[in-house]
Amino acid sequence: MKRIFIILSLILVSAAAVSLNSCKARDKNVIRIGLNAPITGDIPKVGEGAKFAAQLWLEDIKKAGGIEVGGKKYPVELIIEDNETKAESAVKASTKLITQDDVMIIIGPFASKQAVPAGGVANNYKTPMVAPWSTNPDTTKNRPYVFRACFLDPFQGPVVANFIKDEFKFKKAAVLFDVASDYPKGLAEFFKLAWEKNNGPGSVVAYESFTTNDKDFSSQLTKIIKSGAQILFVPQYYNEVALIVKQAKELGWKGTIAGSDSWGSAETVKLCGSDCFGKFFSTHYAAAGAKGDTKEFIERYNKKYGYVPDDVSALTWDSLNITKKAIESTGGLTGDIKKDRTAVRDALAKIKKFKGITGEMTYTDSGDPQKCAVIVKINNKGEFEFYKSVCP
Amino acid sequence: MMSRFSMLCGEVPALGWLLGILASVTAEYVIGEDLSNILGMDKAPVLFGVLMAFKEPLMIPNLLAYAFIIYVFPAVSTGILTRVPANRLAGRLDHLPVIISGLLHISFLYLIIHFWAGMNDYHLIVIKITMISVILTLSMNVINGYMGEFSCSHPGFMAIGAYTTSVMTLVLFTKSRFGAGPILPEAAGPFVFPIVLVIGGLLTSLAALIVAIPSFRTRGDYLAIISLAFTFMIKSIIENMEIIGGARGLGDQPDFSGLTAVFAWTVLCIWVVNNFVTSVPGKAMNAVRDNESAADAMTVNTRKTKITAFMFGAFWAGVAGGLLAHMLRYINPGTFGLQKLAEIFAMVYFGGLNSIYGSIVGAASISLLGEALRPLELYKWIVIPLLLIIVMIKRPTGLMAFMEFNMKKLLRPRDRGKEEGPVG
Repeated sequence: MKRIFIILSLILVSAAAVSLNSCKARDKNVIRIGLNAPITGDIPKVGEGAKFAAQLWLEDIKKAGGIEVGGKKYPVELIIEDNETKAESAVKASTKLITQDDVMIIIGPFASKQAVPAGGVANNYKTPMVAPWSTNPDTTKNRPYVFRACFLDPFQGPVVANFIKDEFKFKKAAVLFDVASDYPKGLAEFFKLAWEKNNGPGSVVAYESFTTNDKDFSSQLTKIIKSGAQILFVPQYYNEVALIVKQAKELGWKGTIAGSDSWGSAETVKLCGSDCFGKFFSTHYAAAGAKGDTKEFIERYNKKYGYVPDDVSALTWDSLNITKKAIESTGGLTGDIKKDRTAVRDALAKIKKFKGITGEMTYTDSGDPQKCAVIVKINNKGEFEFYKSVCP
Repeated sequence: MMSRFSMLCGEVPALGWLLGILASVTAEYVIGEDLSNILGMDKAPVLFGVLMAFKEPLMIPNLLAYAFIIYVFPAVSTGILTRVPANRLAGRLDHLPVIISGLLHISFLYLIIHFWAGMNDYHLIVIKITMISVILTLSMNVINGYMGEFSCSHPGFMAIGAYTTSVMTLVLFTKSRFGAGPILPEAAGPFVFPIVLVIGGLLTSLAALIVAIPSFRTRGDYLAIISLAFTFMIKSIIENMEIIGGARGLGDQPDFSGLTAVFAWTVLCIWVVNNFVTSVPGKAMNAVRDNESAADAMTVNTRKTKITAFMFGAFWAGVAGGLLAHMLRYINPGTFGLQKLAEIFAMVYFGGLNSIYGSIVGAASISLLGEALRPLELYKWIVIPLLLIIVMIKRPTGLMAFMEFNMKKLLRPRDRGKEEGPVG
């Protein structure tokens, strides 16, 4: 019993000492920004890219001494939470960021599987959220506090279809996509719709699908080659792109292959090699031949982390800068986090012609930005080269 | 002195501890905020301060002081001070049917959780997810623990429960993608939702029956493979069904999984599962697990026993899926994949096979550890598996395996000498 008393009194004394030392109530003069990212789980590379971009951004802010709002400089604290690529965990992380850490705004989650439920949480607590990478319409639908930084598939599908029509004057297209995955499936549908609108019904001569983790596409590709299509649209991720492009070549495919923003990873060329040279895809930004801020960002990132950032990092960077701009244009913070959150939300919704590294963005009422897509050509050095910009 | 203290603690009945914890929750409610300010914290620490301890190690003494003043001291002192009347009351209740005293204790427990979660929305969501995990773990323990089969179909069962209940509530309560407008007002939700969950659970059982008939011709590894295939099949089927959202997922379920609903279903699940496994079919399950031929020779209908257990487990997995769907308010076939399976397995085998306590402890510790170790980021996935390995080495069947859950024994008065008579 005596020992317990001694231990207890020691604890209490040291507690008192520490609290005298660091007597601080939660600093109302700090802007807290939460990042809800998949650091572990299925897509850790995405989480890593987001985290690195955010840390790079924070360096800049620290150098500048904080964000200046209404003539006063506020230091910024970045709170990174891992959502394990799970829906439950993303909801928990967002709830924690909002109710515990008193963040002003949340960046993320990234994959739609997490962004849709987490968006519900953010909207319920009236906390603004910017999903940099989620393309599911449900993420922002009927949620005034939820925004995104990327364009949507209903826009991207027609972009590719129109580009091919204008550029090559092709009439017959084939599509090969993963039916079990949300993103490729949606994009394939929008592409088909746009293509048939341009070239008449039946002009998509082959519409073939497979399931996630399939490795052999020869039966689908044989059908596609037999169908006489001039162009093959493959809205797939980098690992499948490499397999499909190589197998198509082996089977004797002579036409062009086009893709979507999911091709925009450094891994695509690494896995695919020279077979992918000369192929086109639509994306958010082009790394090779980039100018101005985009170039600067790519160089800094490459120098610090050793590889060219892919679209996730670029979109995270833009999301953070939109956030910064929105906070600045509130014209002054009250210190009451609830009022400030709503002020930031209102400012975000009014952002017009924001020059991001992934293009110019304008928010209308819906939380989805109007921005241009970029058509990229993989050049003979395996770099993603800017080819054309397509605006809505 | 020390032994006298632990003896005093030993004399506190369950009722006394509940009162004690209620006292600490009240203490947190009344002085938590002020005390944390005095101790130099800007907010009352969550999850007993573990998160903050990782972030600012300097604050650990303050956190310990907070935990002592708010949690330990009120709980222990109230427990010890009220032990005489609490024991007397527990003694009285002991003579009544167990259901009455059980309900009384459960309502105390509910009060505690309600207050604790009410103070903080983060607590609320953590505790709701933990309770849903308890249901899942219990239902898997019926199949993998009590019946001793290695089944991997739980995510599939959850998906069926989640999707069927979601479709029902979406049709009944919202103007949804299924065309019809709201048939019932949202106020009827709390009354209709249990029925919806039961129907969802029964449909899951039906699906389980369809798997069970062919697959129980096999055992061991083969059953594992067939049940795994079932999980993949369900996922693919949902991905290809455009009407329920396909790979895009299904959202906007009404918000029916409140604390009360989840708590009530968890208690009901514990009660029903406990009754099931201690009944004759439950004992038959154990017999089948230990030696199928011997059980068959002793006139146990092994086939029927296995199928019953499988369907029973599936029912609760379906209910858990339905609760989860209405809590997250968005489901996606990707949620019910291998990751989920691994999570449930970890909970079952960490807590212990063939045991209700084990399931509760396993589910609670894995979910709470996952939250508490958040600040470790990537290293969390080194620490938790390491813990699992240590448990597997030290206790190969889990922390609290093969323990019987006895309500009467748990709630009986603890004062020695008196009322020591035969128990439970």
